[in-house]
Amino acid sequence: MEDRSNAEKAELPLTALRDGESGIVTSIKAGSGMGRGWGFKKRLLDMGLTPGTIVTVVKSAPFHGPLEVFVRGSRLALGRGMAQRIFVEKKK
Amino acid sequence: MNEKKLTIALAGNANVGKSVVFNYLTGLHQHIGNWPGKTVEKAEGTLHFKGYTIDIIDLPGIYSLSTFSMEELISREYIAAERPDLVINIVDASVLERNLFFTLQLMELETPMVMALNQMDMAKKKGIKIVHKKLEKLLGMSVIPTVAIKGTGVYELLERSIEIIEKGGKNSPKIKYGKEIEGRIKKIAKLVEKIQFRYPARWVAIKLLEGDEQVEEEIRKINPEILLTTERLSKEIEEIHGHSCPTVITSDRYEIAGKIAREVQQIMPQISPPMRERLHTLTTHKIWGYSIMGISILAIFYSIFTFGSYASGLLNNFFYGWQPIFKSVLGVKIVGNLVWGAMEGIIAGVTVALPYIVPFYLILYFLEDSGYLSRIAFLMDNLMHKIGLHGKAFIPLMLGYGCNVPACLGCRIMETKRERLLAGFVVTLVPCAARTVIILGLVGAFVGVQWALALYAINLLIIFVLGRLAFKALPGEPTALIMEMHDYRMPHLKTVLNQTWFRLKEFIKIAFPLIIVGSLVIKLMDLLELLNPIANILSPITVTWLGLPTVVGITLIFGVLRKELTLIMLVPLLNKTDLAEVAQVLGPIGIVVFTLVTMFYIPCIATIAALVREFGWKKALFITVFEVFFAILVGGIAFKLLMLAKIWSS
Repeated sequence: MEDRSNAEKAELPLTALRDGESGIVTSIKAGSGMGRGWGFKKRLLDMGLTPGTIVTVVKSAPFHGPLEVFVRGSRLALGRGMAQRIFVEKKK
Repeated sequence: MNEKKLTIALAGNANVGKSVVFNYLTGLHQHIGNWPGKTVEKAEGTLHFKGYTIDIIDLPGIYSLSTFSMEELISREYIAAERPDLVINIVDASVLERNLFFTLQLMELETPMVMALNQMDMAKKKGIKIVHKKLEKLLGMSVIPTVAIKGTGVYELLERSIEIIEKGGKNSPKIKYGKEIEGRIKKIAKLVEKIQFRYPARWVAIKLLEGDEQVEEEIRKINPEILLTTERLSKEIEEIHGHSCPTVITSDRYEIAGKIAREVQQIMPQISPPMRERLHTLTTHKIWGYSIMGISILAIFYSIFTFGSYASGLLNNFFYGWQPIFKSVLGVKIVGNLVWGAMEGIIAGVTVALPYIVPFYLILYFLEDSGYLSRIAFLMDNLMHKIGLHGKAFIPLMLGYGCNVPACLGCRIMETKRERLLAGFVVTLVPCAARTVIILGLVGAFVGVQWALALYAINLLIIFVLGRLAFKALPGEPTALIMEMHDYRMPHLKTVLNQTWFRLKEFIKIAFPLIIVGSLVIKLMDLLELLNPIANILSPITVTWLGLPTVVGITLIFGVLRKELTLIMLVPLLNKTDLAEVAQVLGPIGIVVFTLVTMFYIPCIATIAALVREFGWKKALFITVFEVFFAILVGGIAFKLLMLAKIWSS
């Protein structure tokens, strides 16, 4: 588990990564508390996008389509709206 | 001999070969229905083994046991409340970490378990070696390596399952979280132990810390103080980690899964990307991906429609060949006519179901099992977002071009109720095979192919406009695509065939009763000579507003049974011998208006039945009434516009 100092480093939305780049998940900004958006945040966590996880953007579909990411040994398709709410720290 | 009864549930992620195992175990002794009161499918089958009658329940393929979807709720409720004798957790060995995350959650439900470490062959191909004995030790449960598509290991799996049950079905051991979490779980669990609750206390404690709404709700009714304690403790965890407590729990669980996975597997680096990787890259490519998708969809439709119309014609001739015999036996009096009416209903059903629906399902399941459907969903996600849906909705939409009934049922792949309804509504606007018969057979043949294509384009446009409006009108938030794209693989033929067979049975069960009753009602109306008066009542709409012959009122009634009847019935009703003469009576404008109306005016009776089943009769009625008015509106406007254009051009 990461400590808080990570949040102070450059946080980027996952969509800012270019094809082939990787990042470490810092947070998911999808609704605070348990209200709206919570279900989808939980969904992303359940699919393995927990803080500290390495995510690789394989490619993004054209015309602002979804992202193909590689996480925890499997391939996920993430809608762009969802991917914008996943924040990562770019991995060199 | 009195056989002892056992219940075994199959649980696991989507696409791990669960249905292959299920089919292998139960063969054709399956029953597919719904979970009581829910529109979630329940697949159940029986098997006889070593003197036991074993009831196998195939739980939905899911990734977690939270409250995200109905499937997840049903699965956990089933395991906790119904208490099967054993749960077989089917795991994809090639994606071990993600699968173990689910395994850990199953273990928390404290149920006797066995793991089927499936797709060992795929793992091997990916260079992953798993020491299953070590996994067995770390998890404290039996692990059987299997390759279900070849049947490897399935017998041992069953044998071991029985062995465990016979030994008294020891519960799976507990998995420990980090120290600071574990202590707090225990505190809450102690409080939960004092109340009566159908779930294990420790599980409840974990779920409360995860912020599970359903569990919170129920505990609040029993003892709200537990929630206060939970809130305090989860704040403490948040303080320690700097993330919300649910995030911490999920992360920790993944951490444990990852650690176990790393300990039991060895991954050999691969030299060149294998075939399935290259295929994946190609089929999701921004140019090649769309081209391949377009070509495959066109090829599929072309072959299905060619085969369908040929086979449909053959079947029709075959059945109608019996008509004289029927008539001579039953006579042409009321009874004979009614019986023949019911027969026509059955014929209508069969001539649609067999030639169009069977091949459609075969291809669909073939594509799904291979993994291609998820790539299509990936490519189409952006477009589907325009109507508030996501990529997966493209699949029922595509199915709709074959037949709206399976398309409506196919909307279940959407996660939320709102999305299902939205997709269900949109799907009924898609011109199915029957409507295609009219578009191509009337417009295409007598007005011009470009007009037929234009009608398809107008249809698509209307789908998008109405879909968007419905999306704005329906309360709730738009959702997003979160989907695993599993590796390409060879589909398992037997599973594909089985699924097609059970879908066909489902179709017959839903559609046939109403088609038969509908046929009888119309036949009765015909015998009571009610059709002409009805057509006359409708004439302000059909004649004045739409500019069509009066008899169209009658054929539109027949069209409720199946849409192509609107066209076929016109021939005798207009006293003509073939379609060319009908086309002459209607004229080009009439043809276009007639086709537009038929395209939208009502979902056919079988589709209405499917809508009722999926969304309840109120919503089904609303969709039906809306579409009737909408079709009349569109038809009328088209008529006026085309008339104007005609005057203007001459």
